[in-house]
Amino acid sequence: MRSRWALLPVALAVLAAAPARAEQGVTDAEVVLGCSNSFSGPLAFSGEQATKFGVDLYVRAVNDAGGVLGRKVRTVYYDDGYKPQEAVANTKKLVEQDGVFAIIAPQGTPPVLATLEYLEANKVPLLFPFQGSPITRARRYVFGGMTLYDRQSRMMIEYLVGQRKYRKLAALYQDDEYGKSFRAAFEKDLGRHGLKLVAAESVKRGVTDVSAPIAKLHAARPEVLFLVLTPGPGAQALRERQKIGWTEAVMVSSGPLTDERYLALAADAAEGVEGLSLWPDPLASDLPGVRLYRERMKRYFPGNEPNRYSLSGYFAAMLFAEGAKRAGRSLTREGLVVALEGIRDFESGILPPVTIGRDHETQKQGFWVRVEKRRFTPLTDWLKSE
Amino acid sequence: MTTAALVHVVVSGLATGSIYALMAISLVIIFNATRTLNFAQGEMLMVSTFVGFTVYARAKVPLVVVMLVAVVAAALLGWVIERAIIRHAIASTPFDVLIITLGLSLVLRSAAGLTWTHDEFPFPSFFGDRPITLGPVRLVPVSLGIIGASLGLMWGLWALFTHTRLGRAMRAVAQNQRAARLMGISVERVYSASWVLASVVGALAGVLIAPVIFLSSKMGLVAINGFIAAVLGGFGSMPGAVVGGMLLGVIENLAPLYLPSSIKHSVPFLVLIAILLIRPGGVLGRPARRKV
Amino acid sequence: MRYPAVAIGAAGLVAWPWAAPPYFVFLASLVVVNAIVAIGLNLLSGYTNQLSFGHAGFLAVGAYTAAIVATRWPGVPVVVALLAAALGAALVGLLLGVPCLRLEGLYLAMATLAFGFVVVEAIVNLEWLTRGNDGLRVPTARLGPWALATDTARYYLAVLVGAAMVWAALNLVRTRTGRALLAIRESEIAAQASGVHLAKYKTLAFVISALYTGVAGGLFAFVVGFLSPDAFDVFLSVDFVAMIIVGGLGSVPGSVAGAAVLTVLNDSLAGFQNYRPLLFGALLIASMLFMPGGIASAVRRLKGG
Repeated sequence: MRSRWALLPVALAVLAAAPARAEQGVTDAEVVLGCSNSFSGPLAFSGEQATKFGVDLYVRAVNDAGGVLGRKVRTVYYDDGYKPQEAVANTKKLVEQDGVFAIIAPQGTPPVLATLEYLEANKVPLLFPFQGSPITRARRYVFGGMTLYDRQSRMMIEYLVGQRKYRKLAALYQDDEYGKSFRAAFEKDLGRHGLKLVAAESVKRGVTDVSAPIAKLHAARPEVLFLVLTPGPGAQALRERQKIGWTEAVMVSSGPLTDERYLALAADAAEGVEGLSLWPDPLASDLPGVRLYRERMKRYFPGNEPNRYSLSGYFAAMLFAEGAKRAGRSLTREGLVVALEGIRDFESGILPPVTIGRDHETQKQGFWVRVEKRRFTPLTDWLKSE
Repeated sequence: MTTAALVHVVVSGLATGSIYALMAISLVIIFNATRTLNFAQGEMLMVSTFVGFTVYARAKVPLVVVMLVAVVAAALLGWVIERAIIRHAIASTPFDVLIITLGLSLVLRSAAGLTWTHDEFPFPSFFGDRPITLGPVRLVPVSLGIIGASLGLMWGLWALFTHTRLGRAMRAVAQNQRAARLMGISVERVYSASWVLASVVGALAGVLIAPVIFLSSKMGLVAINGFIAAVLGGFGSMPGAVVGGMLLGVIENLAPLYLPSSIKHSVPFLVLIAILLIRPGGVLGRPARRKV
Repeated sequence: MRYPAVAIGAAGLVAWPWAAPPYFVFLASLVVVNAIVAIGLNLLSGYTNQLSFGHAGFLAVGAYTAAIVATRWPGVPVVVALLAAALGAALVGLLLGVPCLRLEGLYLAMATLAFGFVVVEAIVNLEWLTRGNDGLRVPTARLGPWALATDTARYYLAVLVGAAMVWAALNLVRTRTGRALLAIRESEIAAQASGVHLAKYKTLAFVISALYTGVAGGLFAFVVGFLSPDAFDVFLSVDFVAMIIVGGLGSVPGSVAGAAVLTVLNDSLAGFQNYRPLLFGALLIASMLFMPGGIASAVRRLKGG
């Protein structure tokens, strides 16, 4: 009889310690995030920067300060080389083997789209993918990570046609879903003004010589030439037009192209080029959040130069932390979704105050820049698209 | 499209084509001597060019020095790879060696990414971008410079093959390995020399093209065009590699001007298929057709 | 003596989803897909020495055919979709194989390389059919009233189809066709002298190889669930070549072993991110230096020596 009563405190202790149904990827001590991204292949640079030097930069700073509501954040990354089937395999592994709480900052429309259905079926939040296709809009478990291409296009056309009254616009675009979505979006938005692209030429990713498409576009005599490319071909295009002495048209780079690497590669050929910038200048901006990002980069990854890719990953982690804080200590996936939806006028010190609505888009803005003496000079304030 | 514009596009194509030709030549040098297709040719030249670039980034040395550094790095890389890895696989089938060079290409590209990141870098050029106007025609120094330098290099190689002992030994081994050995030629020395020479040619091509397409870990992919060029001109022959390269460069550039969007990107491969169907020996080769 | 081994192996395959976590069931399906391609490629390259660097093209044809059939005719049995994939790829194989008869060695390899690129371009351009660069979602495979909606269900489908293909390949070697292919591998001239019609058998090898890869493509489509042109690039074709060389040219069990080893290796290295290609490449080099002739000949040496 004594032994039976002796068991009672033990039983009570066991009952008290039994956890409520725990959310996957969340323990008392940590929350696990991950993604499949490009560490090899065409987008290896931006993939590595956004994750290891972007998300991880913020995560390390936050962990050193005690974590998010006392939980440290741990990240797991797998390489998919931009192949959708590898992205599917990696994402399954993350969810089923590594038990991640959410997927954060994967890259590229094909790899992301390939995993979309699986993640939705398993109710795993897909946070801030670095891709611009509107397919991710207004899905319960998905929150956008970039100003989507259709919004970018609308802002650009409104500014160029509506405000600056251009009528003849042409486009040089990459022959993949990034380039083609922009081209389609341009046609649609120009159509609303009763206009069409006067010329459009495509180039393959990794093209070696852009003289032919530039020559053809030159022959069409547009007032504006859109460049929807990656930094390498973008810089090649600018140098090519300098070679043929084509000064009349305004070169306008798409959001994703408007970055410092493209300036470094094009050098003097970039003078006077305009574009829609999606981020403040990571190297020079005085905004408090950007300065903090630079300080942290110097502290944790001193050899790595700040750039927009790591800045976007850093911002993604910041948004996650904000959502997790609002969701409270008992963090669940549903709770995170609701918390993120409730974000109103969140001050990041990097982008304008973030309000997340039903469309689950976290970024809907850009501002116009022109290159002057190898720097992006803002021409407008933040343009918003609603 | 004005004539001036057309001339510009063609000249630009010849410049790119010269680079394809140099890459084709380096592939053919190795193939002729060792009957191996070197999958890692592009990555080897990429690494050599990066080594040169690192020197340039640290100490602003003149471009000639950068080029020399790249050449030395290439020679070293080619020699080490041949002696340390390929030589040991000599007993295996050529298929095995193919996989080895494939593995090498992966290792080199990954190592480059780890050392220099996968970012793209501007590379200094001997020649300027600003055009010189000669009457109605606008000439661009960089295109002419690339064409000129490539032709000079090709002439140097021709001189090597015809007037030096090593060159003749290489040609002998290419023709008939056993006979060459019987004549006292060290086949192993020719293997080494071929890898070193091919590597050096590649590095020079890399230094010429990097200013145009920018230096990055994926720069080596241009070697695929080198393959195509070699087959186009007639695989195995040097003049074939030159003609094939120039032709491919020009065709690639003219295609977007005259062909509909949907097929213009496939043009190099359609051309390849056409050549293989009609005249597999290539533009310059013997019309070698199997009778099945 | 071999039957107990086969029986144990079969039992293992059947029991796998019960023993292994769901991710490894999915991975096993991918291994089966790659094994079928490897067998097909080996029939072409290992037997008739026509090395192909374009098999990702046949995989793409099979995958897109199956996906489009399943989309246009919802509820169609998966077997029909796979059959369509097989026939589609076989037809393309015929169209490619005939002109390739005149080519050999390097030239043939270049032609297949070009083929791979052209197929991907065609997929991109036939947007109305394939949804081009946006990618194509593959509907869930159906077998009568059942939807193969879980990784386990699709695994069993893959294993069943795979087993049938392996069995067919093993038996092919024993038939007249198989002997003809073997003869061609040993010496084309001798084979021709013995009355083997080279053109017919070389073309047949192309068609069978394409058919196998097409079936694998159909399975790939249903197992992965999403297709895009980026999935089928030249590097995938080269991966397949690596599988048969590591496994052993001309060997059916070798093809399966090579596919299994490389698929699992590739997967286990994914966590190394930017070190992955380095490690994978180094392992390829090492395996060729220390195991020339691949796994099959290493096993043969162990058994014989």
